[in-house]
Amino acid sequence: MTPARALLFLMGLVVAAVGAVELLDEGAENLLAVAVWLAGGVLLHDFVLAPLVIVLVVIGLAVLPGWARPAVAAATVVLGSVTLMAVPVLGRFGARPDNPTLLDRPYVAGWLVLAGLVWACAFGWAFARRQSGGE
Amino acid sequence: MSVLSKPGAPRPRIPDENDFTSRLRSPAVASRVGLWLGICFGLAFLTGLYSHVAQADYPWFPLPTRPVWLYRVTQGVHVAAGAAAVPLLLVKLWSVFPKLFARPPRERRALLLHGLERLSIAVLVAAAIFQLATGLANSSQWYPWAFSFRATHYAVAWIAVGALLVHIAVKLPVITRALRTDLDDTSQDRPGAVDAREPGGLTRRGLLRTTWVASGLAVLTTAGASVPLLRRVSVFAVRSGDGPGGVPINKTARAAGVTVSALAEGYMLSLSAGDRRLSLTREDLEALPQHTAVLPIACVEGWSATGTWTGVRVRDLVALVDGAPDSAVWVTSLQQDGPFRETRLPGNFVADGDTLLALRLDGEPLSLDHGYPCRVIAPNRPGVMQTKWVADLAVET
Repeated sequence: MTPARALLFLMGLVVAAVGAVELLDEGAENLLAVAVWLAGGVLLHDFVLAPLVIVLVVIGLAVLPGWARPAVAAATVVLGSVTLMAVPVLGRFGARPDNPTLLDRPYVAGWLVLAGLVWACAFGWAFARRQSGGE
Repeated sequence: MSVLSKPGAPRPRIPDENDFTSRLRSPAVASRVGLWLGICFGLAFLTGLYSHVAQADYPWFPLPTRPVWLYRVTQGVHVAAGAAAVPLLLVKLWSVFPKLFARPPRERRALLLHGLERLSIAVLVAAAIFQLATGLANSSQWYPWAFSFRATHYAVAWIAVGALLVHIAVKLPVITRALRTDLDDTSQDRPGAVDAREPGGLTRRGLLRTTWVASGLAVLTTAGASVPLLRRVSVFAVRSGDGPGGVPINKTARAAGVTVSALAEGYMLSLSAGDRRLSLTREDLEALPQHTAVLPIACVEGWSATGTWTGVRVRDLVALVDGAPDSAVWVTSLQQDGPFRETRLPGNFVADGDTLLALRLDGEPLSLDHGYPCRVIAPNRPGVMQTKWVADLAVET
């Protein structure tokens, strides 16, 4: 290990330790609530989202012709990840009756427009590939 | 399950690293996506630290009053970096997913190192997902948890960045080699990555481009909450930017529990410096020299908006009770509780001519939700510290 690499490693340990101390300072009750969310995120990714993507790939391979695959894969990655990011606003979970300036957009309509645009681009790309004889 | 028990069918088992055949799941892809993910986390960490320090009012870090838009930009960047990181993190995790199934080595020293590295990765992944999930939920004021958001998001940020530095140090040779060789180089791939057909249909370049598009869209669809030009295209912005006087509201008078006290007939602002005390009605405040300033209000949750505020300069009020023009002022709200009920306006803010006890927004009297009868508005200050429904100004002597 070069000195620079070792230094980076040690810096990482120190920085993480600062966070651990800050977290412990908040008390055991806080820590327990945090632990559930820390573990929950990993479990949701590894045992729900990642297998789901594998299932989607298997289905895509079975039903899609070669020329459509890249476009469908790209559209799914774009729309899937942006949708996941937008879950808090799509559900409007934080909305409050006394504050009409918060979460005040038509989010589902916005999502439909975005989804339409993404799939329109994907279909355009797929058919262009088909015309040019792309596999 | 009858399919699996058919004679001759392979016994069901936990998959191995080499059962994943896609050549897209490669250090070549992971390093390139990881580089941008690291940049996003770095930006979010630095801007987050700045926001933390700005709210803490440490004597060793006096916040500047200029440029007035600084906090607006840093908080906007903070939230945008988080949004951009969502697709990057998902693709990054996908590209290294086979590693989860790598068989541990048998030799004891190697096994120990393998275990430690796995532990550091577990911490990194958990902290990274946690930061993005809690940050996004917080920006929409959704708190589906029992922990304290502010303190926890701050603490886990250090853990995430620490684990990231450790990860980069461990992987440095792989990363540098991947970034220096061609994207389609396979020399660092798993032996099992043999599928040249690319079952997803995408090439590596195609996957990277897709990721950049997803990341760009994540920013574009949310940034309208702080970049007025993007308001129309930001379909997932937490706020449209509308509100009384063209400024949205973070916390309403009802949520703060001040609807009665803020509208009370006998409302008086109490102003003091040591033994010098004054009580001023809103009419008294309106009779004092008025000043107008165009200042943004930038919330910790990332949204911001510019307002045209009119009111009395705080330094003029300080002068009324014979305080020095650059003395700090303690501001107390009519709110009965909340962590920002009482804030300290440092001396350099009091001295600034644009720091107002505002009575009007956009020419109209302040709406109740914007802090009627009067509120503090100062340049380059976190929104939570722009105290609304002011009850008391105490000059530090």
